[in-house]
Amino acid sequence: MIITVISHFHPVLVHLPIGILLLAILFHGLSSKEKYATLAPAIPIAYLVGSLTAILSCITGYLLSGTGEYDETTLNLHRWMGILVAFCSAAGYLFARNKNGLQLKYVSIVLLVLLTVTGHLGGTLTHGEGYLWKTVSADTKDSTVAIKPIANAQEAVVYKEIIQPMLQTKCYNCHAATKQKGGLRLDTQDWILKGGKNGKVLVAGNIDSSEVYKRIILDPVEEKHMPPKGKPQLTEQERLLMQWWIATGTDFTKKSKDLQQTPAIKSALSSLEKLATVATKRTDVPETTVSKANESTLDALRKYSVTILNISDNSNWLSANFVNCKKWNSDIEKQISGLKDQLIWLKIPNAQLETSSWKTIAGLTNLRRLSAEHSNITDQDLKQLNGLSQLQYINLVDTKITAMGLQQLKGNNNLTNIYIGRTGIHTQDYTMLKTAFPKAVIDTGSYAVPFLATDTQQLHPKAK
Amino acid sequence: MSRDHQRIIQEANALYMQQQTRRHFFKDCVTGMGAMAFGSVLGGCDWLASKDANSIHSNPLMAHAPHFAGKAKSVIYLHMAGAPSQLELFDFKPDLMKLDGQDCPQSLLEGKKFAFIRGVPKMMGPQATFKQYGESRAWISDHLPHLSTVADEISFLKAVQTDQFNHGPAQLLMHTGTPRLGRPSIGSWVTYGLGSENNNLPGFVVLTSGGKNPDAGKSVWGNGFLPSVYQGVQCRTEGDPVLFLKDPAGMDRDLRKASIDAINEANKLTYEEYQDPETVSRIAQYEMAYRMQIEVPETMNINNEPAYIHEMYGTKPGQACFANNVLLARKLVEKGVRFVQLFDWGWDSHGTEENLAIDFGFVNKCRATDKPITALLLDLKQRGLLDETLVVWGGEFGRTPMLENRDGKKNPFKGRDHHTEAFTMWMAGGGIKKGFSFGETDEIGYSAISGKVTPHDIQATILNQLGFDHEKLVFPFQGRSFRLTDVHGKVINEIVA
Repeated sequence: MIITVISHFHPVLVHLPIGILLLAILFHGLSSKEKYATLAPAIPIAYLVGSLTAILSCITGYLLSGTGEYDETTLNLHRWMGILVAFCSAAGYLFARNKNGLQLKYVSIVLLVLLTVTGHLGGTLTHGEGYLWKTVSADTKDSTVAIKPIANAQEAVVYKEIIQPMLQTKCYNCHAATKQKGGLRLDTQDWILKGGKNGKVLVAGNIDSSEVYKRIILDPVEEKHMPPKGKPQLTEQERLLMQWWIATGTDFTKKSKDLQQTPAIKSALSSLEKLATVATKRTDVPETTVSKANESTLDALRKYSVTILNISDNSNWLSANFVNCKKWNSDIEKQISGLKDQLIWLKIPNAQLETSSWKTIAGLTNLRRLSAEHSNITDQDLKQLNGLSQLQYINLVDTKITAMGLQQLKGNNNLTNIYIGRTGIHTQDYTMLKTAFPKAVIDTGSYAVPFLATDTQQLHPKAK
Repeated sequence: MSRDHQRIIQEANALYMQQQTRRHFFKDCVTGMGAMAFGSVLGGCDWLASKDANSIHSNPLMAHAPHFAGKAKSVIYLHMAGAPSQLELFDFKPDLMKLDGQDCPQSLLEGKKFAFIRGVPKMMGPQATFKQYGESRAWISDHLPHLSTVADEISFLKAVQTDQFNHGPAQLLMHTGTPRLGRPSIGSWVTYGLGSENNNLPGFVVLTSGGKNPDAGKSVWGNGFLPSVYQGVQCRTEGDPVLFLKDPAGMDRDLRKASIDAINEANKLTYEEYQDPETVSRIAQYEMAYRMQIEVPETMNINNEPAYIHEMYGTKPGQACFANNVLLARKLVEKGVRFVQLFDWGWDSHGTEENLAIDFGFVNKCRATDKPITALLLDLKQRGLLDETLVVWGGEFGRTPMLENRDGKKNPFKGRDHHTEAFTMWMAGGGIKKGFSFGETDEIGYSAISGKVTPHDIQATILNQLGFDHEKLVFPFQGRSFRLTDVHGKVINEIVA
């Protein structure tokens, strides 16, 4: 027990010889210069303390290696290099004390190399193979993208494309070639099935008996929870997929579509695909960038109570809301035309515009969203808007437009959302519009919430 | 400068340094410390400098761009104050029915603390019939016959957890990110970050119903340490929506304008002298009140709405009721108000009286809110606004699977105690997945087993939908940056479309 605790001090202790010996080497190097000659008396004592702490590190290291959780080859190398460090530093002390300058120089150089290599090997043992060049951000910062996007999740081999990448980012650090905590390796099929020193960790088809899964869902404050507290945790989606993989029999070759799926799994799988298409990017914002709009134009419009601003801090694309500016004059028309490159979202609810103003809007060719609900837009005005080829969303709720008017936008293949509730468009026109805009969701409104007797009745206990 | 000059200066410096004794050091330290302390005091006031150098001339409620292009432009938050029972609405637990009337197992009581349950309570099965609705097959009880028709618009969060089991602290946690007083509410943070799309209306409006304000009081829509211009404006649903907004008899609008201009001139001088940001707030509030005089009565008047809308929402013009508030919320959002917060009091179904009985008062609360909420979702949808309006529904915690036995005695009616470990909330619109359910509870709905989310996660998600990184929307106060989610919160990406 006490020995185990002492052995745990190894990763802390090793920093003493590293620091002290580097200092000794530095002092030795500097003391040859006249200016730093006063450092010379400190060299022997630095080597002495360095070598003593190095020996202490060797002892604790030896105790730690007994746990058998590390890769043998790396461990052996680290062990012998460490012992060499202790020897060399002791030799360094002797040479320094006896003022054998030349010998000390050679020992210092060897020691420098040894320290670097031993330290690196120790790091490999603790943090896993290739820890040095690994980018930190990939697996710790944004855990939602831990699983790489998959083009077609239903066609993916579950183990290889979904489970293994998860194990790789969340488990391999302690359960793979370089380190086998609890004697467990999770990097190949054989090792996974073999289990750890306490036996099997997976029971095909039974999540309740599978140690791996039990550890994952354990409360994170419990010592046995995996991954350990402080390490990147499995996301909710990853946990769900892991559960599914074990419950369906821990198959290593089958594809997603061959395994039984609940709706939750289906949606988790499809969200894996979504990452591939970068779901976070919205379609109603152009991918390209644009130059900054003229500040004086913006200010001029703000004088008319127009709310106009960038769609986000780091973007020059503009959105404008005319909720407090229902009538336009020629100056507004002129100013807004000046923003034709940047303006992508336009709200003109309740607008009462002249034909010329609608013509101005028709010239805003970058528009993605146009909200013209309750406005005086007519079929003629709508015809002009045909040129807005980027338009995706158009809101014409409570206007005078008819089916014939809306048909004029037929050529626009980007339209995905069309709102036409309470317009001159009738039920019999819907099928025609559906064929005219096959890609769009056409919302015809007129939803009703029926009256139920219970809506207004109060429930009371029966009088006794 | 010649070398000689430099030498002289160097020598002078050296001489000066020699004269610096320990005494000097301590003496200087005192003023130094004082300066540092003073700096942090001023730090609390530097919101102007950090946001806009010459804010005195600009409106603090002017619209601002968010961190990234958000999917939602506004939020309607429907808070059912008192905490509705998830076990009678969305979290269907047939196994709990089998345990109905049996003693609660010790394992569920050990080490737990309840607000009113003492000793060993009995379990109580769901007091409602459940069915699955929509393509998403969402479980919804027969208490909500209308909402079940729009199940496919909603994302349910079935495993919300909180750590406060009393109303006040739990409501504060839900709305301000901490169970203690003093922090800004979520609506204040949003208006601070985004400003208002409509200069003639407040950015953050609060409407209450159910006869009482929420237990936590007005702090749940307070501005905390943010300038007071960002606090929620509570509008009344009967009489004048905002008190003292009307001009007194005999004062015309021009005279009003002239007097406000004069007052603001004086306030500007005061600001130049004392640099207190509250003075800027006051100037902005005077100006907004003047603009609101016309716009507010118009927007807050539901009498002009067509008959089909009144039928849809089940509104009762002239009365204070939840349905009216819901319709107002839609009108306000349509006009560009950022955050509309509704509080409906009366969901605290302990079973201590008829109004708070799970089989009477609770059912009546469901009946009074089901139709308007459903109408809100459908009305926003048919107006093309649902995609950019985030609707959030929930209480401050949930209710126990056990029958409440207040102080160890039987209550006159059936009821459930406060429960923190698992309850249901839902979100719809504003870029949230349609027809989705996230999180699970155990067989009896006692604890969350997967998809746990906290009030901070919900706040982070609301800010995310509006285009904010909740870790970056900060305000410097008392020497450090504060944020709504404090040091917690993770966006619930699973429900984001």
